[in-house]
Amino acid sequence: MNTPLPFTRRQFIQKSAVASAAITVPFILPSGLRSQNAPSKKITVGIVGCGNIADSHFPPLLGSPESVRVVAVCDVDSVRLAAGAARVNQAYGNKDCQTYSDFRELNQRTEIDAIFVCTPDHWHALIAIDALRHGKDVYCEKPLTLTIAEGRALVDTARKYNRVAQHGTQHRSMKRFHDVAEFVRNQGLGKLDRIDCFIPPNNRFCGATWTPEAVPANLNWDMWLGPAPWRPYNSKGCHYNFRFISESAYGQVTNWGAHYLDIGQWALGMDDSGPVEVEGHGEFPSSGLFTNCTNVNFTVRYANGVPMNCRTRFEGGGTVRFVGERGWLDISRDKMSASDNNLLREMQAPDKKISLPLSNNHHDNFFECVRSRQRPIADVGLGHRTTTVCNLGQIGMVLGRKLKWDPVKEAFIDDDVANRLRTRAMRSPWSLA
Amino acid sequence: MNAENSSAVPATKPKKMVSGNPADRYSNAGPSPDPWEQCARLEYGHDRSYAWTVREQVIATPPEGRTRLEEKILTALATSGRTDAGLAFLCQMLAMIGSAQCVPALAPLLRAPASAEAARYALEPIAGPAADAAFRDALSALTGSAKAGLIGSIAIRGDRSAEPLLIALKNSSGEPAIVREAATRALARLTTFKA
Repeated sequence: MNTPLPFTRRQFIQKSAVASAAITVPFILPSGLRSQNAPSKKITVGIVGCGNIADSHFPPLLGSPESVRVVAVCDVDSVRLAAGAARVNQAYGNKDCQTYSDFRELNQRTEIDAIFVCTPDHWHALIAIDALRHGKDVYCEKPLTLTIAEGRALVDTARKYNRVAQHGTQHRSMKRFHDVAEFVRNQGLGKLDRIDCFIPPNNRFCGATWTPEAVPANLNWDMWLGPAPWRPYNSKGCHYNFRFISESAYGQVTNWGAHYLDIGQWALGMDDSGPVEVEGHGEFPSSGLFTNCTNVNFTVRYANGVPMNCRTRFEGGGTVRFVGERGWLDISRDKMSASDNNLLREMQAPDKKISLPLSNNHHDNFFECVRSRQRPIADVGLGHRTTTVCNLGQIGMVLGRKLKWDPVKEAFIDDDVANRLRTRAMRSPWSLA
Repeated sequence: MNAENSSAVPATKPKKMVSGNPADRYSNAGPSPDPWEQCARLEYGHDRSYAWTVREQVIATPPEGRTRLEEKILTALATSGRTDAGLAFLCQMLAMIGSAQCVPALAPLLRAPASAEAARYALEPIAGPAADAAFRDALSALTGSAKAGLIGSIAIRGDRSAEPLLIALKNSSGEPAIVREAATRALARLTTFKA
């Protein structure tokens, strides 16, 4: 069992505020946890959401028992919750893992250092913000948030409470993507002509109509919906498939776009900014349970004139291709290729003028930052900017007209409808306030 | 079998007239249903093609045509037999283009628990004192979770004139915790609100 911290959350926040006022070095966050100053201290973790996405987090988290300890899990599906807890208990050989069906109760546990947010997208912002307010560091799965307004609120909260907050875009911690982004940033391709992102298609289908079904006894449907508009339960519109319904997510635009558009942002040096224009012409289903774009096609353009295109690729999976005056580079999780192999050799040359931060493991980087109080490799600030690009694409395709974007004000220029689509009212009692 | 009938000479069918106008070939299809009325009677899970047609119109209409469009949505809101799904859809359309013009129609819906969620979805992005007043007015009509949601919207809108009401709610022992906590958060947000 973990020993509770010797002070309460309120004391912790007071201490944090004092520490924050004293900090003068940028990007060093004050530690809220006295014990974190000792490198041997295990970081205690709570996981919110025990489904598909959590599957990829359990092995690395449970595989580092000397430094990380999962102490609690939360899910609104009691079957998934029990499976998650059993997985933790089996790994540790005990029955200590606490279970919660409400993330707010988990966030109130003062001895938990960090929260992993692995829920459907419409929940990301509220759960992460609540955790940050309770003094937790946060690893939030991609996309960071559902809407632009949620993303801004999440970043502001992380800054206000001086918390470490990592966006789950693990390409930032894969050397291949790092090397390409750094190479492009150093003009390795000469003048950049364009970036082409290809994302997989929405890979589930249903008919033009659907039938409301009885909610399974193991599922709290009201809590699953949370801030999303109410609709009757249907098994095809819940676990995993939520991503094809625009009340919960924006399909592969945010699912894979968050990864590949992110590398484009990184290579362009736009981590604290974004495009100035978007134009999209996606194809949306006119009936049926699924509402998200089935054929993605949008282009964002940056102030330097470089366009980044995003298209559905129906065969071949996701990739990002950089095209410049010296040729092209194409990179995905599985492979990297170039118009000329010399480009790949040049990429490995040392001593580049601009050096991008390097991380070899997204989890390790997060936990290192929890201890060191540095900002992580995919800090929520840049995660919000990348998620904004996804949102711009979505809004551009929904409206089907060219839109001007002000990345400083984070607002569309002269388009009231587009600006309204940056946010949406949340279902009671939930609110960003 | 009727032998007499079977041996009868079949009546000659009238020859079908083929018009030169392609549209005339479809004259037997009858009048098209009004998509606005269909939207108002939308059911969860049913074909939403009519709603899609209306949505496309809402999105594509330039600013100068939105007032007329808003009137059509408000008319559809008053359709007899309007369903919950229809109300939700129409309010989603108003959330994109609604103006102060629709506040009088939405305000009573905001005060009714059954329609408050949909109405709040439409009203939250509509700027101006009329919508602010509708939110404040509904505070006395809603309870519990719905009231907490209402308070959240007031905070998001940045209506500082609601502060006295929120302070009262925050300190009211007659209100449940969910409402008092929502009021506390709303007051904190209003203190730092930037338009």
